[in-house]
Amino acid sequence: MLSGDGAAIERVPDFEMADQQTQSRARFPGQPAMWFFVIGDLWIFTCYFACYAFDRGQHSAGFLQGQLTLSQGIGVFNTILLLTSSLLVAFCVQAAREGATALARRLLLLGGGCGIVFLLVKASEWYLKISTGLPEGSDSFFVYYFMLTGLHFLHVCLGLVILALVFRELKKAGPPHVAFVESGAIYWHLVDLLWIIIFALLYLLR
Amino acid sequence: MTGATLASIAGGESRKGRLLSNPKLDQWICFWSIPVFYILFGVIFVLLGRIMPPPTPTMSTENIIAFMTSPNLSLAVVLLALSLGMYALNSGLMLTQMKRMVGVSPVLRYAYIAVLGVGGLPGCLFPGYMFALGAFRPEYDPEILAMLYDLGFLCFVGSLGCFIIQYVVFTIAVFLDKRGIFPKWLGYFSIWTLVTELVATPVFITQTGPYAWDGLLSFYQGTLIWVAWQTSVTICLYQAIKNQPLEELGLPLKENEL
Repeated sequence: MLSGDGAAIERVPDFEMADQQTQSRARFPGQPAMWFFVIGDLWIFTCYFACYAFDRGQHSAGFLQGQLTLSQGIGVFNTILLLTSSLLVAFCVQAAREGATALARRLLLLGGGCGIVFLLVKASEWYLKISTGLPEGSDSFFVYYFMLTGLHFLHVCLGLVILALVFRELKKAGPPHVAFVESGAIYWHLVDLLWIIIFALLYLLR
Repeated sequence: MTGATLASIAGGESRKGRLLSNPKLDQWICFWSIPVFYILFGVIFVLLGRIMPPPTPTMSTENIIAFMTSPNLSLAVVLLALSLGMYALNSGLMLTQMKRMVGVSPVLRYAYIAVLGVGGLPGCLFPGYMFALGAFRPEYDPEILAMLYDLGFLCFVGSLGCFIIQYVVFTIAVFLDKRGIFPKWLGYFSIWTLVTELVATPVFITQTGPYAWDGLLSFYQGTLIWVAWQTSVTICLYQAIKNQPLEELGLPLKENEL
């Protein structure tokens, strides 16, 4: 018991030192402006989701009819794509923190590539939807469908621009600006998070 | 700017002299026109015209006639026609501050000004003139008045594209600017206002629900965010003018700078 306490006391200074070294990163990853954006964006999307849920309750038959025409397979594939992409970008941040910029760049390219494939899949899904026509009485569902997936599409596009800027940062000589890389990753995770909610609301919740 | 610097510039003159020799006087006059303009804006669109918040697209014909022929609405339109130009002072001020940005192509600020010049037409003036017709000739066929009512509100809420480009251009400029004339969070804020314009797109095909022109998403959320954005821009503009170094204004003004 006593020796145990002693060990704990001995360990404290080590822990504190390690904490001080990583303090700035551990406490607040990314840039404050990016957090401002992410939190606000989540608030705005929460309004859309609340409206969707309310309207769905009012017109459940029409919504269900529309939802049944969506392919859950495509939805699952896109979800896996974005989750993988997020993981790759998270590894990229880890690599950037350790100064392994070449590895970080490669991981970032793979992550961004998944994002591009996501966009292609989404665009072909829209094309199929429009070319096969929408079922009668499901208009209000499809306004939400195109609005939510369309806004998310734009978020992915913006995310790719941000990842490209992060890539440029990682290409520079010398240690990368870690907070900037983290900000890019935070945004990319937001895109991922929004998609998971959209996927659940539109494709799964029937 | 502190009173001490002002006094030193003016050589300890009277209060009036100091005010007139304030090198930022032009910018401050334009700046204080902004709250005046938005108070007028509120009087015109909210109090007198009852255009904001908008009545429903599914309103009965009698109510549409009552709305369109209201003398208050007519008065609001006259005030609007007289005062909308004041917005140019705000735009000029924005251009002046955007010009100070470093690493930003001038194309962006020209585009910003150009698009604002166009945006005010569908966003404010056209709807105003459409609403003015009701009081101008109340004996119009009710169906024509109903059409003008629709047209007016679709113009008012559906003037999307110009403002989208305004926000895009502004966002890019804020992010590229190496001098930090405006804070970066304001750039992110502009992305939201841009998104709310996109969300209002279905006003052209829906008459009820959150996407109608009086809807929770098309109107209320968009307007809430826009008001917050406009307030933030105005506060940031104040800071930008305040922090502008006097040397930049070329004091004392030389002949070749006039």
